[in-house]
Amino acid sequence: MANKALNVTAQRVTQRLALSALALLLTAGVAQAQTQTLEVSNARLSLLPGNTPGAGYFELYNTGDEAVTLVGAKSPAFDSVEIHVSSEHDGMAHMHELTSIEIASGERFEFAPKGHHLMFMRRVEPLNIGDDVDVVLEFSDEQQLPVTFNVVSPASM
Amino acid sequence: MYKLLLAALTSLLLAGCSDQSWRTTDVADIMPSLDFSLVDDNGDNVQADEYLGKPTLVYFGYTFCPDVCPITLARLGDAIRQLDDETRDEIQVLFISVDPARDTPEVLKRYTNAFGPEFTGLTGDKADIDAITNRYRIAYEYGEENENGDYLVTHSSAVFAFDREGNAQFLVRDSHPITDVQADIKRLTEKS
Ligand SMILES: [Cu+2]
Repeated sequence: MANKALNVTAQRVTQRLALSALALLLTAGVAQAQTQTLEVSNARLSLLPGNTPGAGYFELYNTGDEAVTLVGAKSPAFDSVEIHVSSEHDGMAHMHELTSIEIASGERFEFAPKGHHLMFMRRVEPLNIGDDVDVVLEFSDEQQLPVTFNVVSPASM
Repeated sequence: MYKLLLAALTSLLLAGCSDQSWRTTDVADIMPSLDFSLVDDNGDNVQADEYLGKPTLVYFGYTFCPDVCPITLARLGDAIRQLDDETRDEIQVLFISVDPARDTPEVLKRYTNAFGPEFTGLTGDKADIDAITNRYRIAYEYGEENENGDYLVTHSSAVFAFDREGNAQFLVRDSHPITDVQADIKRLTEKS
């Protein structure tokens, strides 16, 4: 009885090991395949002089067969990047952080002025209009999507 | 149905001939005149009467706001710049901070400069800010600080318009078409 249980466990461990090896082998390829099912366009970072936060706007198009969940973003140019949404109720402007956004298969999700945006806080170094900023979008399945944001002035949007 | 149509037509006609109504929201009878004692973006103490003589647009916000505030000011700036030169030179926009702890005159100056010469930033003691927000019955509220000490502020979203004498005239909401905003701004500069 005990022997059998041991055997089963050993078998499971072996299976698991084989699976992880397979997973390891496939990880690179899979990540790339997944990345190709996401298209980002019109990525711009609206920024003012000084050290006030910036807002990232873009369109995220999920061309894949499965929903994806955006859970965060990071950039070497800022200490902190958060997913935010602005809204208006009874003449009051609100803004709050979101922990995730699900984008359905085939959906084009727009991060646009006065709606969803990436909030870029505490710039690491000064940035100018026209600069490119590297950003990585992070998804719940661990995939990381690099995107280049172009710095623009809100006054020119 | 006909009644409704008739009512709509009548109000259109009335709007056409009346001096009193604006395409945006008319607040002439419900909002008090311009009055405040604040600090401008050069660090000087200023009173509302120093801004009389020109039609004035007022917006309450904070510079740590990356989305709603700059987009509102930018769209307002665009709307003004698309008008003829005469109208443009007449208009002034006051950006009144509801976050004086972070919005020093220096921070405000850099911020408002990005939108154009017609924009001026105003800040002040919390008590002076409260005096003007209470006067216009505008609420604002600070969110919780995060680990960096950063916080968000909920604030009013409308733009208030005053005539040359500082009398409240109309208020602009996000939902108002830009052409209506422009028409009202133009009329405001032609008034009196
Ligand atoms: Cu935000």
